[in-house]
Amino acid sequence: MPELRELYDAILNGDHKTSAAVTREAIDAGIEPMELVSGYMVPAMDEVGKRFECEDYFIPELLLSARAMKAALELLRPLLAASGAKSAGRVVIGTVKGDLHDIGKNIVGAMLEGGGFEVIDLGADVAPQKFIAAIKERNPQLICLSALLTVTMPSMKTTIEAFKEAGVRDGVKVIVGGAPVTAEFAREIGADGFGENATAAVALARQLLQAA
Amino acid sequence: MTSKERVAAALNHRPPDRVPIDFGSTTVTGIHVSCVAALREHYGLERRPVYVHEPSQMLGRLDEDLKQAMGVDVNGVFRRKTMFGFSCENWKLWRTPQGLEVLVPGAFETTTGDNGDIYIYPEGDLHAPPSARMPAEGYFFDAIMRQEPIVEEQLNPEDNLEEFQPIADADVASLKAEVEAAAAGGRAVVATFGGTAFGDIALVPAPFLKHPKGIRDIAEWYMSLSSRRDYVHAIFARQCETGIANLAKIHAAVGDLVDALFICGTDFGTQSGTFCSVNTFRDLWLPYYRHVNRWVHANTSWKTFKHSCGSVDRFIPSFIEAGFDILNPVQCSAANMDASHLKADYGDRIVFWGGGVDTQKVLPFGTPGEVRRQVLERCRIFSAGGGFVFNTIHNVQARTPVENIVAMIEAVHEFNGVAVHA
Repeated sequence: MPELRELYDAILNGDHKTSAAVTREAIDAGIEPMELVSGYMVPAMDEVGKRFECEDYFIPELLLSARAMKAALELLRPLLAASGAKSAGRVVIGTVKGDLHDIGKNIVGAMLEGGGFEVIDLGADVAPQKFIAAIKERNPQLICLSALLTVTMPSMKTTIEAFKEAGVRDGVKVIVGGAPVTAEFAREIGADGFGENATAAVALARQLLQAA
Repeated sequence: MTSKERVAAALNHRPPDRVPIDFGSTTVTGIHVSCVAALREHYGLERRPVYVHEPSQMLGRLDEDLKQAMGVDVNGVFRRKTMFGFSCENWKLWRTPQGLEVLVPGAFETTTGDNGDIYIYPEGDLHAPPSARMPAEGYFFDAIMRQEPIVEEQLNPEDNLEEFQPIADADVASLKAEVEAAAAGGRAVVATFGGTAFGDIALVPAPFLKHPKGIRDIAEWYMSLSSRRDYVHAIFARQCETGIANLAKIHAAVGDLVDALFICGTDFGTQSGTFCSVNTFRDLWLPYYRHVNRWVHANTSWKTFKHSCGSVDRFIPSFIEAGFDILNPVQCSAANMDASHLKADYGDRIVFWGGGVDTQKVLPFGTPGEVRRQVLERCRIFSAGGGFVFNTIHNVQARTPVENIVAMIEAVHEFNGVAVHA
């Protein structure tokens, strides 16, 4: 019987090899995937978020923990899908058209996954039509738009406008983030919220989807 | 005062006759080529394509006529090879995705993907994998991650040192000629000789190398700062040794014609926080920065220039302790980076080179009136007692309205009591 606490510790310490190994052992021992997710992985990523907030952890540690969490999740994902387990919500995330930067978006995506959300990552330089197709095909509750550049911030606005034109805006919540993005800008372009960093984005996602 | 004297006064924390102005002296104090073209048109200068001297960020070269029109006090000297490993020579015409005709180096070789993305090649070698991509309708290039699979046991710091080698005599001769030309016009000289950028994330993916080895993926590099610290120390230690030896050779050739030396552009701040802790900085960077700064101060008259974006308030005491004379870009728009606080707490110990106007919001999206107000306020705060060179917070980005750039320049001249260019 694997020592499941090791999964929590491996994620917290950013040890992806151990997190994968413990997860494999747990699967072989017949432990329910959801028990691993909600009992160990979500709490570990919550703790990572807390440590980031109080500046005990920084970007390197966030990336390491996210990689360890994803190593476990990759193994569990097919089992979770087969069991019909319910996530905290379905999220589509991407960096907007014209912008190739994806590290911030990847961290937010990983923290959302660590928070129990199902995350569909469309990558970087994502055209509005691709977001719209994902909304229609995957039926997410939340869309996360990222931009690092002042020259691509206007793409956030055109993306949200394209959602309205396609008639899909009212069915989803939209949040935005990235270095030059502000709460004021989020309001101006008609987004539902702004996440200043990855942990704030997770808190906002929970708040918006609970209220929905 | 001449431009050189003006900058020297500011760098020595003495009040200059007026606030000195930099545009274009480094790859972090420049202007996007499209804005340079717009400025040339605004000032009624000769209509001709602008030279792209930094092809990664597509920065336009500020020629003598534009520097005079803007009242620029500084000339820049750059290492011979660009971010894509080729030199700025054999210029040829190229059309940007927005249709602007510009001049690019002869080895600026690109291909266009099915979706319109533009790919560029290291050393102009179309047979090598492309090292950067400009999105269709984009304004500059971003590095393509070309990370070879990592076998932990086989990692060798030498693989991350391919670009940090002893400088060739031909490169020293080229820098000497550049420095002498830059100093001849009476402006101050800022030199970027290269070799002392410790872990600059723009350089880690090595878009100038055809087949980079070692840790080259950006996220992998950031993780390595925590998980492979000995490996990073080994790189920095060797780089420091070679970098100082190179500086000694360059100094022997160029002497004290240089006023400021660009040391390193590694960013420690994010918009709202920092990439790592101050303790990590003190363990991993400070010893090497201190070595370089001590050598420069012991052997030359050069001032040392540190660039770091973001919220670096808590790092500034360590930058000062490491021996840096100049901080850029002074990102007042980031958390805890209020101009008055920075000037009051650190203004007597470090020169602020930048901070003149916000390039995330006010300059690109504000009105000329808003630009003027912020520039006048920043000049008032930062210029007291010297210790300030006017520049925007990082490069002027594409799509910035030319009337805002002009409002910014005119506001500095207004503050200086200098007649505004017609």
